[in-house]
Amino acid sequence: MTPHGQMLLEVRDLVVSYPARGSAGKPLAAVRSVSLNIENGSIFGLVGESGSGKSSLAHAIIQLTPYRSGQVLFRGQDLASLKKPQLGAARRQMQFVFQDSLAALSPRRSIEQTLLEPLNHFRVGAPASRAKKAAAALETVELDADMLHRYPQELSGGQRQRVALARALVTEPELIIADEPLSSLDAPVQARIVDLMLKLRAELGIAFLFVSHDLSTVRRLADKVGVMYLGKIVESGKTESLFQQPAHPYTKSLLAAVPVADPAHPAPSVLTGEPPSPLTPPAGCVFHMRCPEKMERCPSIEPIEVAVGKQYGAPENERELKTAGHRVRCHLWDDTK
Amino acid sequence: MNKPVLSVRQLSVTHRLSGRVVNVLDQVSFDLHQGEILALVGQSGSGKTKTAESILGLLPPDRWDISAQAIELNGSDLAALPESGLRKIRGRSISMIFQEPLTALDPVFTVGNQLCSVFTRHRGQRRREAQTSAQAALGRVGFPDPGHVMRRYPHQLSGGMRQRVMIAMAMACRPSILIADEPTTALDVTTQAQVLDQLVQLGQKDGVSLLLITHDLGIVAQYCDRALVMLDGKIVEQASVEELFANPRHVYTKALLNSAAGAKPK
Repeated sequence: MTPHGQMLLEVRDLVVSYPARGSAGKPLAAVRSVSLNIENGSIFGLVGESGSGKSSLAHAIIQLTPYRSGQVLFRGQDLASLKKPQLGAARRQMQFVFQDSLAALSPRRSIEQTLLEPLNHFRVGAPASRAKKAAAALETVELDADMLHRYPQELSGGQRQRVALARALVTEPELIIADEPLSSLDAPVQARIVDLMLKLRAELGIAFLFVSHDLSTVRRLADKVGVMYLGKIVESGKTESLFQQPAHPYTKSLLAAVPVADPAHPAPSVLTGEPPSPLTPPAGCVFHMRCPEKMERCPSIEPIEVAVGKQYGAPENERELKTAGHRVRCHLWDDTK
Repeated sequence: MNKPVLSVRQLSVTHRLSGRVVNVLDQVSFDLHQGEILALVGQSGSGKTKTAESILGLLPPDRWDISAQAIELNGSDLAALPESGLRKIRGRSISMIFQEPLTALDPVFTVGNQLCSVFTRHRGQRRREAQTSAQAALGRVGFPDPGHVMRRYPHQLSGGMRQRVMIAMAMACRPSILIADEPTTALDVTTQAQVLDQLVQLGQKDGVSLLLITHDLGIVAQYCDRALVMLDGKIVEQASVEELFANPRHVYTKALLNSAAGAKPK
């Protein structure tokens, strides 16, 4: 276990549910008991299909969506227990970048006004020094200073997403939560934003929670990855451990579905069916209805989270190193057979 | 190689807007063969979608100038057709599916209603007959319970289901050509694999030729037969997919392949 001092964000057994119509008053459980940790200056990639609960989780962490139970600890402080002014102070330390930069930036504010807004709101530094800070943030995201007097709709999608990042940066946060920040951008533009995020982490020590359905980007960017399916994290671990030795059949299916830019590579395999509705989550394992390796007890008994690694052939100490922290919710890895 | 189904020669398009004239396509020429999956690759703004739209005559003539030596579909010249003739071609001989199926489907009509209207309008079927045809069309794109999907509204379906409805609709008139404009960009990887699999099967089972507009080189490598690489309104390279990946000629193609290799697992 990492000592408390190093842990930036701890999410414990978080449950997010929404009231739903037409289901006899039964709420829709979007996030079902999720726990995750983000260390200082590290990048956590949260992957999953649409509807898996990634965005609900991200919003709940930053207290935009109320959660039913569980805890979100930022620097050891329970965010739900904080009063308004303290919550404000914590929020200054964790900023959010949204998927659609055009909707997230006000069309009536120039880029400079947009960047000044959080500085004024949090009263960062002397008012006279704020314009300088705004300009510096723009420079950090590698945009020219003449952008300050332009408006979001005059910029390209990539430039806008850089502005959104700059706005998150001005308050000098320790954590940026980015919800699908690249999905509306072209591949080369995406690659440059990924480089930029890596630079921000290296130079400013900013940690990221990076929510995405794009596995190859997550692999490039993240130190640790969590794979979400139907409101649960079914597998998590260090990025290389998870990508090289995917343990959960769902993770394997996800990886096998990605087309590879090589004509000689075997064709992507097709996972049949659709994820079940979160209104009526299946009993047992969440994935059993589509699982190619389904066993007898999967539809009835819910698997607990277990460590991956016992089944590897490598010597004990080496194995520990490689797969440390690699965990999976699947009966295939459960020893209590 | 067999005779091309679609043959485009020297297609140029300019856009007029408040006195400014922009060249959008510059002498685009290519052939699409029967049962082939042809990729049209390039960044946004390179002219991929405009190529498709000008072939289908979807660009309003008051702002767009289209000139071409020939756009031949099964031997007849589309460029010489009046709008009424083009409307018959659209949907019946060439169909198109779009990136975002939610904007391409009408939100106030059920899926069944919209799908049936394709059969009544283009195939002259009666209501009852169209119902049966629509159910069969949905069955062919892998819906286990077509009757249930028929009664749904577009917003009640997932993105992948909507895109499969679009494919069913596009294939309703058994066109010889299907143009798919970034059909899976809005979808998850698993759903993407399902939809692309459907499209490949169309070519194999029904001999449909597919023009697949994409920016994803993984999709090009694993699903397509040949590729056209577009840059600033020009086709800068065309080759079979094996050739393109093994031996790219144009600087831009090399740059594209390099950036894809960078994103590939190490």
